Amino acid sequence: MQPTMGTQQSSLVKEKVTMKKRSLSRWTETVRPYAYIMPALLFFCLFFFFPIGYMIYLSFHDWSLLDLSAMEWVGLANFQEIMLDSDFHLVVINTIIYTFGTVAISLVLSFFLALWLNRQAKIYGIMQAAVFSPHIISLVSVSMLWMWLMDPQYGLLNAILEFFGFPAYTWLADTSSALLSLILVSVWKGVGYNTIVFIAGLQSIPKDIYEAASLDRAGKLRTLAKITLPMLSPTLFFLTIINLISSFQVFDTIYIMTQGGPVNSTNMLVFYIYEQGMDFYNGGIASAASVVLLGLIGVMTFLHFWFAERRVHYR
Amino acid sequence: MKIMGRIALKTGEAVMLIAVSLIFVFPFIWMALTAFKTLPEVYQFPPTLLPESWQIQNIVKAWESGPFPTYLLNSTLVAFGVLFLQILTGVPAAYAFARYKFRGRNLLFALTLIALMIPPQVIFLPIYVEMSNWGLVDTLWSLILPYGASAFGIFLLRQVFMQVPDEVIEAARLDQASEWKIMWRIMAPMAKHVLVTFGLFSFIYHWNDYFWPLIMTNSNEVRTLPIGISMLKASDGGSEWNIAMAGNMILVVPILLIFFFAQRHIIQAFTYQSK
Amino acid sequence: MRKQKLGVFLGTIGLAAVTGITGCASSNQAAPSEPATTDAGASAEVKQSSNAPVQIDFWYSVGGANGEMIEKLVKEYNESQKNIVVKPAYQGNYYENHTKVLSSVTAGNQPDVTMVEIASVGAFADAKVLEDLGSYAAGSEKKYIEGLMGNSYWEDKLYAIPFNRSTPLLYINRDMLKAAGLDPNGPKTWDEMRSFAEKMTKKDGGKTSVFGYSSPIDIWFYEAMVFQSGGEILSDDGKKLMINSEAGKAPLQYWTDMMKEGTMKAPPGEKYNAWDVASQDFLNQQVAMIFTTTGELKNMREKAKFDVGTAFLPANKSYGTPTGGANLVVLKKSPEEEKKAAFDFISWMTDTAQTTRWSAATGYMPVTNDALEAAEMKAVFDKDPNFKVAVDQLQYGKPRPMVPGYKELQEVIMTEIQKVVLGQSTIDDALKQAETKSEKLLKK
Repeated sequence: MQPTMGTQQSSLVKEKVTMKKRSLSRWTETVRPYAYIMPALLFFCLFFFFPIGYMIYLSFHDWSLLDLSAMEWVGLANFQEIMLDSDFHLVVINTIIYTFGTVAISLVLSFFLALWLNRQAKIYGIMQAAVFSPHIISLVSVSMLWMWLMDPQYGLLNAILEFFGFPAYTWLADTSSALLSLILVSVWKGVGYNTIVFIAGLQSIPKDIYEAASLDRAGKLRTLAKITLPMLSPTLFFLTIINLISSFQVFDTIYIMTQGGPVNSTNMLVFYIYEQGMDFYNGGIASAASVVLLGLIGVMTFLHFWFAERRVHYR
Repeated sequence: MKIMGRIALKTGEAVMLIAVSLIFVFPFIWMALTAFKTLPEVYQFPPTLLPESWQIQNIVKAWESGPFPTYLLNSTLVAFGVLFLQILTGVPAAYAFARYKFRGRNLLFALTLIALMIPPQVIFLPIYVEMSNWGLVDTLWSLILPYGASAFGIFLLRQVFMQVPDEVIEAARLDQASEWKIMWRIMAPMAKHVLVTFGLFSFIYHWNDYFWPLIMTNSNEVRTLPIGISMLKASDGGSEWNIAMAGNMILVVPILLIFFFAQRHIIQAFTYQSK
Repeated sequence: MRKQKLGVFLGTIGLAAVTGITGCASSNQAAPSEPATTDAGASAEVKQSSNAPVQIDFWYSVGGANGEMIEKLVKEYNESQKNIVVKPAYQGNYYENHTKVLSSVTAGNQPDVTMVEIASVGAFADAKVLEDLGSYAAGSEKKYIEGLMGNSYWEDKLYAIPFNRSTPLLYINRDMLKAAGLDPNGPKTWDEMRSFAEKMTKKDGGKTSVFGYSSPIDIWFYEAMVFQSGGEILSDDGKKLMINSEAGKAPLQYWTDMMKEGTMKAPPGEKYNAWDVASQDFLNQQVAMIFTTTGELKNMREKAKFDVGTAFLPANKSYGTPTGGANLVVLKKSPEEEKKAAFDFISWMTDTAQTTRWSAATGYMPVTNDALEAAEMKAVFDKDPNFKVAVDQLQYGKPRPMVPGYKELQEVIMTEIQKVVLGQSTIDDALKQAETKSEKLLKK
């Protein structure tokens, strides 16, 4: 902007004024898009990029929320501590089991549900809505509802099991079943979303491919394996990433249903961070664990964009 | 023979349909049924299906167990406040990304996309510290501001704005309409459908949110409905599941009603990201 | 290429830091204008005019009917005078309340008065968030029962005033004991309790329909049983965990034996969820005897459809119990005026007239010496002697450990003893683990 103003100096007065106006408007035109993005960007910086940087900074310090002025640089000590801590190992293992369990079960179930429910008749539309409905319900309600359903003594689930002559199950009460129970709840909540997305994916597959296949007299299974699955692979990939990311940060169900127990069997990353940071005041440990979580999600995000970009190129 | 087979198949499918819909819908029905039982009936085993007598007052008892009008007001304020800010910041940003060429556009858009993928839950500790430093913890601001801009909203709106024909904008510019006016009077109405879709998504998300108010609030004046409801769980000396379920009805029924009437919109809202 | 991107990324973060400061200023100014959002606005107004009452925040952590009683007492206090208005807020159970208190101190919107579970008083005092109450009390602390003051002092300074105080009790279903031909006053020793439990356990086919005994696998009851076995939790200087010993092993041996015999039920659920389950089982007559707090007495008496009895926790080598419940504390960060008001409120809440009614309405112990002699209290004791059991048991009572590290350590111990009861670990391994983990925590 400065140099343009400079060149105006030698011009005639009248021209100078109009030129000035024009350059001013040119200047506003250049700045305009930035000004439009500015407010949104400000929020992202304040509540996203800056906190990420700050968190990384905090993870190299020994600090507690009690007294932020007493922060001490400790280098990698926090990371060292969690890497050697058997409790943290358990937390990571639990998170991984939970995440992959949830994602695998949910995706397989929803894939078959989608194949089944992807029809025109009205009843299938109603079914899609029914399967989807848990997805829009608050996790508070979902957690409390399932805690009640899974009550080992008075819960509906054990009543049903016993009605059919099965022994009562321990659900949240035992170390061997608590994590599985949480997986079940998150599959119940999330499978509808995946089903709907799969259905959208199925509908975007051009019909003529199937027609060609039926002319070739390809069997149903063969069509599924050779056409449907490959054509759905972008959807499948997208869902895998989205599900992984949301499962990594499970908290509400743990906080309400199990508090990480029994004996840490359902203690997972965000809950661990919450406990360390807010409850035990080990801010350094909490932020180091946050960085680990962020790293996991970062890898997922990177994979997502990498794949999305490739997909665009190949189209 | 073939007809018999088809009938068997149809019946089989009908049974499956009923079974699957029960799995997803019956828990809600059970919530409602429990909400109307007396406490002794709740603790009967095997349980009764229908309440022996319908205890409407359970809902009243849940409602009166805390300042629920305040919770309700706060939930509404937060959900609408967030939505208002997100639209205020989102429409201009999306307009700029869609209709302007400028240096750094791709980079800035990539940053927006990163924000789309990583939820604030992961970085709550530093945000809590920030909020503490600004003295905003335990205010409604601490629930609204961190969600002030939605990457998802910008992403959605940008796609609509890109599809608006150039002629429309050119015509408006010839009419001496300011860019600001074009944005709000022409572009935004054209994106009405997407704005509704996004609005539903954002509203439901923040209406349901538990984690953020749990971290940020500690007085009744600023607590939201999910926090109030979760407190029904803890009562010294035995859980009153009927009251807890009655409380959850307050949280769940409005959303299910909206879902009933705006099903297609909502399903679209929540699955839009996949496209 | 990628490096370049990273540079831009870091640059953006730097930019965010700068905008962060400016953004902060503007949003800070905006905050108080929103009417419903801040208390800060309200208390600022209080200061402006000296006639207006001082407003103080009071956080509590008992729910249900006991919580309602707290609300009722606070309302009475507010109506009894014009200078102070107390605003009560329920914050969930003790653990949740502690988290809230500490994080609110950081944010600067801490309450003026809060309940603190007695074993955590040390951690809070050590973190320098509590006000030394010595000058406020000025000797008036002598009115409280001495046996309840063990968790009030930290480094010889008075930080906490007893409020909802308890000991664990053995609750017994007298009808069931009578039906089984047992002494309706309950068992006196561990061995007796074990045989009582065996006699009252009922099996229907393969399923146990009534368990003789149940107790949450909670640190509090474990502490009690260690004391009964002649042990200590921590060494006198608070530097060493002492439970890797005979006395530390005895409770676990006792519990696992009874679990094996099928006469004991370990109620499922984390922390206070397990307590709720135990109480519910007892009320539903699916368990004949449980350990729980005297604070649930009123609730049990009202809800049970049978004759509820209470007794001392049975003795192993001797009787023994930790005291429990919560004390009231004042937060150091509060303004002077509010601290004074806060102490006035505490004195009122814990004074003889109120503590008597509180005790009668809940089952918690009265906390003043005078209350024990008061006519109203005696009337309650006469009407239902169960209300006196905890007070009598106090002669065997000890304070809970309260070194700062114990706030976290108690959860570590709890996890380890639960491992044993759930069959995930042996007694020796679990206690050794607890000992190892304690070393770091007790150094703090």
